[in-house]
Amino acid sequence: MNAWRNLNGEGRMGAVILTALILMALLAPILAPGDPLAISGEPLLRPFADAAHPLGTDRLGRDVLAGLLHGTRTTLLVAFFSAAAALIVGSVVGTLAGFLGGIADAILMRITEAFQTVPGFLLALAAISVTGPSVPTLIFAISVGTWTQAARVTRAEVLSLRERDFVAAARTLGMHPLEIAFREILPNAFGPAASLAAISVAAAILIEAALSFLGFGDPNRVTWGSMIAEGRTVLRSAPYLSIVPGIALVVTVLAVHLLGRGLSRSERLQP
Amino acid sequence: MPPLVSLLLKRLLGALPVLAIVLVGSFLLLEAASGDAVDSYVARSGTLDAEQLAQLRQEWGLDKGPAYRFKAYATALAQGDLGWSTAYQRPVGAVIPERLPITLLLMTLATTLAFFIGSLLGVIAGASPGSLRDRFLSVTSLAIYAVPGFWLGLVLIVIFAVDLRWLPVGGIESIASGKSGFARLGDIGAHLILPVTSLAMVYLALYLRLMRDRMGEIWHEPFVQSLRARGIGHWRIVWRHVARNAVLPVVTMLGLQAAAMLGGSVVVESVFAIPGFGRLAAEAVARRDTPLLLGIILCSAITVIVANLLVDLAYGKLDPRVRTGR
Amino acid sequence: MSRIILNRRAFLAATASAGAIAALGGKGWAAEQPVKGGRLIVAGDSEPANLNPAIVASNGVFFVASKVIEPLAEQSYEGKDGLSPRLATSWEGSPDGLSATFKLREGVTWHDGKSFTSADVAFSALEVWKKLQNLGRVVFKNLDSVDTPDDHTAILKFSQPTPFQLIRNALPVVTSVVPKHIYEGTDIAKNPANQQLVGTGPFKFGEYKPGEYYLLKRNDAYWQKDEPLLDEIVYQFLPDRAAAGNALEAEQIQLAAFSAVPLADLDRISKVPGLKVYANGYEGLTYQLIVEINHRRKELADLKVRQAIAHAIDHDFVVKTIFLGYAKSSSGPVPAYDKTFFEPDVTKYAFDPAKAEALLDEAGYKRGADGNRFTLKLLPAPFFNETKQFGNYLRQALAKIGIDAQIVSNDTPAHLKAVYTDHDFDITVATPVYRSDPAISTTILFESGLPAGVPFSNQYGYANAEIDKLIKDAASTIDADKRAGLYKELQKKAAHDLPLINVAEFSFITVARDSVQNVSDNPRWAVSNWSNVWVKP
Repeated sequence: MNAWRNLNGEGRMGAVILTALILMALLAPILAPGDPLAISGEPLLRPFADAAHPLGTDRLGRDVLAGLLHGTRTTLLVAFFSAAAALIVGSVVGTLAGFLGGIADAILMRITEAFQTVPGFLLALAAISVTGPSVPTLIFAISVGTWTQAARVTRAEVLSLRERDFVAAARTLGMHPLEIAFREILPNAFGPAASLAAISVAAAILIEAALSFLGFGDPNRVTWGSMIAEGRTVLRSAPYLSIVPGIALVVTVLAVHLLGRGLSRSERLQP
Repeated sequence: MPPLVSLLLKRLLGALPVLAIVLVGSFLLLEAASGDAVDSYVARSGTLDAEQLAQLRQEWGLDKGPAYRFKAYATALAQGDLGWSTAYQRPVGAVIPERLPITLLLMTLATTLAFFIGSLLGVIAGASPGSLRDRFLSVTSLAIYAVPGFWLGLVLIVIFAVDLRWLPVGGIESIASGKSGFARLGDIGAHLILPVTSLAMVYLALYLRLMRDRMGEIWHEPFVQSLRARGIGHWRIVWRHVARNAVLPVVTMLGLQAAAMLGGSVVVESVFAIPGFGRLAAEAVARRDTPLLLGIILCSAITVIVANLLVDLAYGKLDPRVRTGR
Repeated sequence: MSRIILNRRAFLAATASAGAIAALGGKGWAAEQPVKGGRLIVAGDSEPANLNPAIVASNGVFFVASKVIEPLAEQSYEGKDGLSPRLATSWEGSPDGLSATFKLREGVTWHDGKSFTSADVAFSALEVWKKLQNLGRVVFKNLDSVDTPDDHTAILKFSQPTPFQLIRNALPVVTSVVPKHIYEGTDIAKNPANQQLVGTGPFKFGEYKPGEYYLLKRNDAYWQKDEPLLDEIVYQFLPDRAAAGNALEAEQIQLAAFSAVPLADLDRISKVPGLKVYANGYEGLTYQLIVEINHRRKELADLKVRQAIAHAIDHDFVVKTIFLGYAKSSSGPVPAYDKTFFEPDVTKYAFDPAKAEALLDEAGYKRGADGNRFTLKLLPAPFFNETKQFGNYLRQALAKIGIDAQIVSNDTPAHLKAVYTDHDFDITVATPVYRSDPAISTTILFESGLPAGVPFSNQYGYANAEIDKLIKDAASTIDADKRAGLYKELQKKAAHDLPLINVAEFSFITVARDSVQNVSDNPRWAVSNWSNVWVKP
């Protein structure tokens, strides 16, 4: 467990919380069996009032705890996949642009800039109203708005790697340029892009919440964002409905950040 | 021509291909959406019969193909005409100027607040990395960063507008109040306190962290060590050398965040009932008003380009190694 | 006070007793003299591109425009035929159904000072209602000409017998009169007066700030003596759902109509001192919560499956939990409020999941290995919070009887396109409006042979020759009782054959500061002219 030893206190805390969340997500069907959207009790039960619904129930009588547990699944799923999609697309575009140079670079970077000049959230909003909200389209919409940063970072890294010795060596060995780009350069350039991962995951969670707030959440799944969005009409009379998932959201984003910072710091320590 | 204007023009000309991609992309995106402006109109105005529907579609050019519509739009745009908003039944060129200044004001205030307070707190945290003060500010800023802006807005309204009644619930100014001059400015200011705070918080946290992290790195640099060895006072080193160098990446970030902040204004403006650009954008999407959305995206792209230009100019002022126009 | 006001009647009783108590205390409400002047700030709803109610007869438009432009008559709780006169003082249909005579009010002037005459009515009827108006095109389909023997008489002439009952019921909605001298000779649909309204109403159009507000100002020359009482009405647009409640509590607005305060928040807000909740004043614009069914889908073409779905829905849960008591269970396309047309004696479908399962088994759709019989695509209309919640509930209710309903959520234009043009749905949740007469916007949900793309109409692939014949006959039946009888028959047939499933009827809630007087005093109050509304200083 080299990585663990290299983590500082903050990073370890992040890792522990995140592991717990992932466990929660995996165990949700066992901890709270059945459809979390099922109407299982009296509406608007307060938390801690009824042992069957420890965190209470919502407007329709759905169990908040079950929603929270299953919400962990969808929320993390959407966040990880959209961050991963953004990173992969971004670093592929960045690698191609940096490695090919010339016209290809110019075209790819103009496209990247075009995406950057349009507010990412607006893009996600437009994309989701076009496709209609569901988990895959949410992932698509969020990554559409967030891939450009990875592209820029990777491209900058590729430009500095392109002239290094090992690339020249691969060239003399007669490797196909694209093979060089993706087998030799991308793995080396991916590091800096991956350090964006924490920010991307956190951003994805927040974008999903904001989209849900505006009414674009997957209606067949629970996410924390959709729980907050539904709870906010009763913000004054049943604040727990939005505070409970809100806390989960803050804790997760916090954990992701702490771990991300811990990782990048431990990286920096190693020469 | 003043150098600033020619620089701006040069930048915009250089950005023409980017703008073209943005326009075509947004057009295609909205064309791919199910339902058109007439569907949206009907939902608001009650049902129409088949004949009326066909007539309306013909009037709004929706009976023709997307290629025809795009050509018509591009031709008009080349002559400086932004087209006709189907949702508002007015020229896009008249709708946008009503909304853009409000959002620009909101963004400028939020950026200023986030930048100054964020980097100030960043300096306080980064002055002694690892201290209790640093840890407290770091974790607090992370927590703030994790709070969704809309949620913060809703809570601020309940506390400051409903319970304490210190500030207005929403809107940009008191309705038809007849106020003018400073009274009106004060009125607008009071309306903006909560939305600016909700919009600025996340960036404040971001700038705090950036500043603090960069300062942490600079402390390790040899020139700082040698300053210390020369016995120069701690806070003098903090302000004159460490903070001064650390502020550069924060300034760069300001430009990068301009687009993100425009996006954030969608939510904040709808929570606070502010008649701004972000809300208009969401409305344009919801009502399938392609010309309006294209006009908005065009203006926001130009806003972002100008913001980046300003940041570059500021960067040049702060860092003597960089000259503008590089 | 009571936690939840269960129905309008109970509510009215409650306010009456509160009034009685106040009277005993020596300060009877009736004794109070209205105070003139002041500004009423209301939570605004939408910003219609066309604000002319003669062209766009919809509630979003009426909410603002009804204060500026008046109809010939307005609904009323106590008037004859449920109407009270506005621009017309009396009306009468001929026995052959070929003409209708209106006596018009004298001494009425337009906001620009010109006199209102029968020429304005003739012009509005022929050029605007009949040609351009969404509902008028149905009601005045056979309008041929308008005779104006003098300045204050207008005689509508029809080419086919047209039931006067229908015309009379439609008066408040379809007869907003616009000034001939402003519209004549122009492109009516594009006339700037469609935004800068000119009417005869108690308020003049003041100012429109897009995204912020509409401002209406007192019409000093209003024909009703001593009215209006208010100086100004402001509609402030509040896009966020929580905003109206907050603004009311903070005393920044004084009134929120059309359930701008979410039902879920009403319980709390009704306890806030200084705020009053009104559950009446919307009877004339009853919305119906229905499940639309795509009969092209083989399973749904089977009556037993439709009956099973009807038996799976717990109306009690819908009324109590989703609508928090502010709705009524319904059994057919005419709301119980409409005494003329309502037929109580129809097939009813009690909440009975076991029976529903038995019906599905009978129909041959047994539960599979995963417990599912078949999968349906469910499209809840995105119009109201409650339609979405009912969508969530319906999915659960259907899961209980082994039908897997997958919710597809769309925004408004995509929803309309999917359901009414592309027919890309299995079932939906919809909210058609009942407008005082089945012929105005209700029979269109049952009639077959309509072209694809017409929203809020039978796009369900459903055709029933008997129902079509009833609708056709009623359209030209002059005798009011006979006509009502035909619609009662229609309700029986519809309840039996279930082309769609009626679940509940609901209207809206108004929340106002208790200083606002004369709220909800007619069945279309939110969209009436508010000339007698005043604010206690």
